[in-house]
Amino acid sequence: MSHPSTDSVSPIDLKGEMNMQNILHIHSTEVRDILHALAAKRDEAPPFFLRSPITVDCKAVESELEALDFTALIEGIKALSFVPVGIRNVSDDVVESVTKAGWAILRDSKAKKAVKPTSTESTDNTGVQASSGDNTDNDSAESEPMNESLGNRVMVINRPVRSGQQVYSPNGDIVVLSQTGAGSEVLADGSVHVYGNIAGRVLAGVNGDRSARIFCQGLEAELIAIAGHYQLLDEIDTPLKGQPAMISLDGDKLVIEPMI
Amino acid sequence: MSKVIVITSGKGGVGKTTTSAAFATGLASKGYKTVVIDFDVGLRNLDLIMGVERRVVYDFVNVINGEAGLRQSLIKDKRVDNLYVLPASQTRDKDALSMKGVESVINELKQDGFDYIVCDSPAGIEKGAFMALYFADEAIVVTNPEVSSVRDSDRILGILQSKSRKAEEGGSIKEHLLITRYSPKRVEDGEMLSVEDILDILAIPLLGVIPESESVLQASNQGNPVILETKSTAGQAYEDIVDRFLGETVEHRFLDVEKQGFLKRLFGK
Ligand SMILES: Nc1ncnc2c1ncn2[C@@H]1O[C@H](COP(=O)(O)OP(=O)(O)OP(=O)(O)O)[C@@H](O)[C@H]1O
Ligand SMILES: [Mg+2]
Repeated sequence: MSHPSTDSVSPIDLKGEMNMQNILHIHSTEVRDILHALAAKRDEAPPFFLRSPITVDCKAVESELEALDFTALIEGIKALSFVPVGIRNVSDDVVESVTKAGWAILRDSKAKKAVKPTSTESTDNTGVQASSGDNTDNDSAESEPMNESLGNRVMVINRPVRSGQQVYSPNGDIVVLSQTGAGSEVLADGSVHVYGNIAGRVLAGVNGDRSARIFCQGLEAELIAIAGHYQLLDEIDTPLKGQPAMISLDGDKLVIEPMI
Repeated sequence: MSKVIVITSGKGGVGKTTTSAAFATGLASKGYKTVVIDFDVGLRNLDLIMGVERRVVYDFVNVINGEAGLRQSLIKDKRVDNLYVLPASQTRDKDALSMKGVESVINELKQDGFDYIVCDSPAGIEKGAFMALYFADEAIVVTNPEVSSVRDSDRILGILQSKSRKAEEGGSIKEHLLITRYSPKRVEDGEMLSVEDILDILAIPLLGVIPESESVLQASNQGNPVILETKSTAGQAYEDIVDRFLGETVEHRFLDVEKQGFLKRLFGK
């Protein structure tokens, strides 16, 4: 069993941008150590991590998963205010206990020539490693636009997204026919289209798609993000507050433009 | 066909119990057999506002635990025919309610021919509030014209849409917005959100607006549902919402600062 080292090595490596789709690479089966390291990571980052989705990757400990308490893991992650999206690289013999604990098992659906991440997890026997990335092994937030890998499935929400609700469209765009409330969260691997005001958090391209955009009829969001580049709306001065707007990513800057 | 209506809000102290009492009394006055249930176990408020607190023998929790029959526990109102109160227990906590128990009480009320079952929800978004809304067909979401209250109502609407039995069965609860403690003057002065602001944020149909009125507190101190105070603006506004709920078209009142007050402010000083 691999235990977290007690020496100077950081138990966590957060790579790339602070992408909303965080991948938590676990290097230990001790839930306590994992959560401890994750909590420390969270506390050092801004409140940005609050309720952000997280995917657990078990690759490094795939052969010793019987020792992992999956229920404690999911509960612990929730208790730290993350949203556990799913888990991957779990061996067949633990599938039952994994699903029983309430995990969604993510398959590497896009088993295409997984571009190896530039800086592979060279870190060692530490507890966890959180990297921003995607649902495949295609792990770099700074990788090429991944349009072509998006299945382009559109999710349509035909009522307001309320405070406290989170909707996530994996592999495609999301269309919200009315508004989104303050304290709500709308996420898509593709673009986000809202035919009303956005008052909550809106995150497009959460898997790293830099060409994703956000469209809305009234820009009042608390936070907007594309491919992990985020902006609190209160921090920017735009004449388009409350107005129809389109947001795209240029370099590492979010550009807010009027809708033509 | 009986209908279960939950009076809910998220935020506390916005007027749920006041509304439950007035609304149930109004429906009963129209001839519908109506019961109002206090889900605020541990606090017990509804029986005070309904003026029946000295007549409580058994309560909702007793019925759920099989310690008393439903009929023994229902308190029949002395002013209005067809009106019954099922009080909450003051001595238990909200864990005393069980989903199965609540369901069987509601089913029995339906079998007894109640037209309307009004559920007065506790504040918050925890177990008690969840129990009160789970079996509802319709919801009256009570909001005060301030940001935190509206935000909580938005939250409750999300829960109605995802956690109710109707939602689990693929349907949806019919939603009504009720704005209470509305003060046109404070809206005009920019201290409170306007009806339009609130409708923009919540985007559900407006059932009515109840003005801020001193008669509400007076009425509840006397154990009289304010809808019976026919001279009070709040009482009249509650009458309107009952009519509207029953399908009548009634114009909204009490939305503007009274003319007199307005002129006084213009020329008064
Ligand atoms: N229209 C109104 N005008 C003035 N005061 C009001 C009005 N409606 C309610 N109130 C007052 O607000 C207070 C709270 O009302 P009420 O008990 O009905 O709220 P509630 O939502 O049931 O509270 P809780 O969440 O604690 O159950 C009471 O003192 C009541 O008299
Ligand atoms: Mg109350």
